[in-house]
Formats: sequence, C-alpha cells, structure tokens
Amino acid sequence: MTGIKDKKSARKRKVIFACVLSLLFVLTAPLIPYVIDAHAEDDITSKADKPAALQHPAINLWNEVRQRNEVTQGTSQVKGVDSGVLINKTGEDWRRFRMEMLMPYGAYFMGAIIAAIVLFFLLRGKLRLPGGRSGELLCRFTLNQRTAHWFAVGIFWLLGITGLILLYGRFVLIPLLGADGFSITASACKEMHNLIGPLFVFAVLALLVLYIKDNFFNRGDITWLTKGGGMFGGHVSAGRFNAGEKTWFWLVMIFGFLLCITGLILDFSIFGQGREIMALSHMIHGISALLLIAVSFGHIYLGTIGVEGTLEGMTTGYVDANWAKSHHDLWYEEISKTSEKPESSEQDINKGITSSSTKPAPNPAGD
Amino acid sequence: MFEQFVDGIFWDIALIVFFVGIAWRLITVLLLRNKRIDYSEPRNSGFSGAIMANVRGFYPRKEVSSRIRLQVIAGYMFHLGLFVLLFFAAPHVKFIAQHITGFSYITIPYWGFIVASQFAFAGLILLWVHRVLNPVTRLISKRSDHIATILVFVVMLTGCMALGEASSELRVLHRFSVELLMIYFPFSALMHAFMFIPSRAFTGAFLGRRGVKV
Repeated sequence: MTGIKDKKSARKRKVIFACVLSLLFVLTAPLIPYVIDAHAEDDITSKADKPAALQHPAINLWNEVRQRNEVTQGTSQVKGVDSGVLINKTGEDWRRFRMEMLMPYGAYFMGAIIAAIVLFFLLRGKLRLPGGRSGELLCRFTLNQRTAHWFAVGIFWLLGITGLILLYGRFVLIPLLGADGFSITASACKEMHNLIGPLFVFAVLALLVLYIKDNFFNRGDITWLTKGGGMFGGHVSAGRFNAGEKTWFWLVMIFGFLLCITGLILDFSIFGQGREIMALSHMIHGISALLLIAVSFGHIYLGTIGVEGTLEGMTTGYVDANWAKSHHDLWYEEISKTSEKPESSEQDINKGITSSSTKPAPNPAGD
Repeated sequence: MFEQFVDGIFWDIALIVFFVGIAWRLITVLLLRNKRIDYSEPRNSGFSGAIMANVRGFYPRKEVSSRIRLQVIAGYMFHLGLFVLLFFAAPHVKFIAQHITGFSYITIPYWGFIVASQFAFAGLILLWVHRVLNPVTRLISKRSDHIATILVFVVMLTGCMALGEASSELRVLHRFSVELLMIYFPFSALMHAFMFIPSRAFTGAFLGRRGVKV
C-alpha cells in the first residue's frame, strides 16, 4: 500500500515540477529576444569604433534633434523665433531647474521664514508700546504714500497668489479640485497674472518716487543692524526708517524691478526673444518673486501683530509719539524741532503732500 | 444646470431689471417738478448754463486741482479704460452683435485691450484705496459705494480670468457676475453713468438763470 502511495506522490511531484517548468518557460520565453538584443547593443557600444558594428539607423538624426553635439538650426515653413529648432535643450535645463530647485528650495525658504516668525512670536510675543499711548499723534505717512503702499500691496498679493498657484498648484490644488478643476484655476490664474502684471511696474515706480528720500543708508544703520534692531532687548536709535525698513525698501526696488523686467519679457513674447532668454527670465522671475514673498511675511508680521502701533501709521497716517520715541527716536527729535505747533489734521490728510507734523488727538473721523 | 440658468432665465431677469430700473429712475427724476415758480427775471440763459456746467464738470477747478489730482487722473483712467473694454473689446463686440444689436462693429487690437485693461484696473484700485484712506471720502461713502466698487472689480477680474477662453465655467462665472451687477446697477450710485448729464444740466441751468458763473 505504501509503495503505491509513494509512486503516486512521486508522479504528482513530477507533474507539478513539469507544470512549474512549463510556466517558467512560457513566461521567460518572450524575454529571450530582448536579452539577445541587449547583448548585441552592448557589443555595438563596446565596439563602436569597429565599422562592422551595427548602429541604430536614426542615431545621427536623434543626436541632432536632441542637440547633443552642437546647436543646429533646421528649416521650417513656420516663421518665428526658434521655429527651426525641433527640441531645445535649454528647455530641459529650465524644466529641471523649476522642478528640482526653484520649487523645493522656494518652499523651504518660505517655510523657514514662517517658522522663524512663529518662533520669534512665541519667544517675544507682541512688542508693546513702552509707557502705553501718549495721546499725541505724529503724521508718519502722507495720503499719497499710503495710497501707493496699499496699491502696491493689492497688486503684489494678487500676483503673488496667482503666481504661487501656478508654481505649486499641481501639488496643493489637484488633490482638492481634481485635475479638471485645477486646469480651470490655473488658466484663470495665468490670465490674471499676465494681465495685471504690468501694473506692478507702476506700483514699484510709485514706491520709489514717494519713499526713496528717507531710505538711504547711513552709519547709524550699521549700529542698528549689529544690535539686531533692538529686537532682543535694548534700545537702538533710528531715523524715520530703520535699517530693516531700508533693507526691505531696497529689496523691493531691486527684486521688484527684476520682477518687472523679466515679467514684461515673459508677458510680451513678441519682440523676438528666444527660448533661452525666456527661460532665464523665468528663473530670475521665480527667484525674485519667492524671495520677496518670503521676506514680505516678516514685513507683514512686524507691521501688524509684531509691533504695537505700527499698522496705524499706514492706515490712518498717524502714529503715537511713544511709538516714535521707542522705534524712531531720531525722527521724533527731528520732527519735534521742526513742528512746534500742531497743524490741522484734516489739512494734512487732504493735501496728502505735507511732511511730518504733530497733532494732539485723533479726529472724529476715526483716524 | 448653472450654465443654462446663467445663460437663460437669469440673463433675461438681469436685462429686464437693468432697463426697467434705469427707465424708472430716470423718469422719476425727470418728472420731479419744482412747485415754486421762479418769477424773477433770468439774468442769463439757463440752457447755456446747463451746457457749460456739463463741460465744466470734465476738468477740476483750479482752487482744488492740486488736492484732487489723484482722483481726477485715476477717475479718467478707470472710466475711459472700462468704456473702451466694455464696448470695443473683441469678445464683448461679438457678444453684443450676437445677443443685442445683431450687427458687429470695429474692435480694438490686442495691445489696445492690454492698455485699456491696465488703465481700468489701476484706476479702480487707486480710487477705492483713496476712498478708504482719505477720512473725508471714507466718511461720505455709503455701503452701496463699496458694494458697487467690489462688484465692478469682480466683473473685471472674472473677465480677465475668462480671457483665455479655456473653459466655459470661467465664461459663465464672468457672465454671472455681470448679471449681478446689472441687477444692482439701477439701485446704486452706479446710476451716475446715466444721471451725471441731467444732474449737471439741472444745476447749471439753475445757476445760469441767476447769472452765476458756472
């Protein structure tokens, strides 16, 4: 009995083994030609100098198409810049820069700034006015200056948000809106960004004209910078604008104008600029934009919740005297000497052109 | 569903409210009569006063020109820009020809569209920022002024978004915002688009009869 059982199980094993072998053969058989081809290609590449080796018949064509050896210009019935170039190699460089550098490092940079702000707020909290409010108000910004500032703010954030959606939207919005939804959003953002973009030129020019006067660096700014602007304790003297504000102003001017120039190059591609110039412009545009957006977080924090009494300077035009003494003591001394008697607040505001002046208390209009 | 609503019944409602509302407002104002009869001898022509007041209103008085420079420049930028966009932008001309007039007319080139939209956007934003920041204009502004400004801005922004004609959703969004504006128009300060000429004429005629230099 046991002999018959052993024979049966041995036969069974043989059948199973045969089946497995057959299955393996069926699965691997189609791969054999590829293995042979791969060996043949290895032979060709290793023996490339030998004339007997077989080359892909279109290898030269594809080398030219991919511009591997040199930049070649073909001919085309289509008339236009770069229309004779089938595949532009710089396009791939630009794509890799955008995907592998601009997007991740831009996000890290913005994240780091936000983290630093949160950390600072947790450590120091809101910087209160020393001695509370005095009730004496000083005219800090004229109506024209404030109008230019808020105009620039509106344009900057409209462009900033649409630009960030175009850059990071595929990661953030596709999971929320789906591919079709993001496609519509991206199209809308692109049109908005392109159409409203040129207004930023006027915004930056207006800021330059109205704010440049008091934004030149002087020796006192070095002291201010070395002491960290008094943010970590101690008092540091400053004029109408401190070194931090001046740095922000010049960042906006330099990178703002870079944004404007590169933005106009990208927006109006009708002046014969090729792909290389467009790619370079895009790189500069992206870096400048992310830098300004990231630093603006700090500007917004200090101007709103970070330092008590700062925001009202840009909304009403007036700041408390104690705020001025605490953060801009040299400016306070300067205007205390020049304006001994208070001027009419309404006159100041309506003219929108007067320089710093003082007034005793807020007017009924709520400013 | 929403597209059909916006392109169909809501468009009809908006058109009716817009035209009936404007007609009602204009007729109401024009039918107002001063019950006190003016027996005094006219010192000057009321008609010429009406004309002069209309012309005079297009440029600022010398005494205040430096103070209201921003409002004047931004005002012209916005109104001219919006007028050109509304009546001469190619998509609008196409729409007007298909749905209102039945015939087409001249359109502005693309660069003209860009320039006009820059003027319109810059003007509107500057005017609104100034309205909010200046304590005097802030005090005399009503909620309807802000709603009207925001609605106009939304219409312009959605129009800008739909410019690429990438999807019907964006076109519907723009048209929906336009229809909301059309419904709001007769009941708001936006009526100044139709009222400014008769209003100036009334004041000019009144002052002209009394020999006041307009």
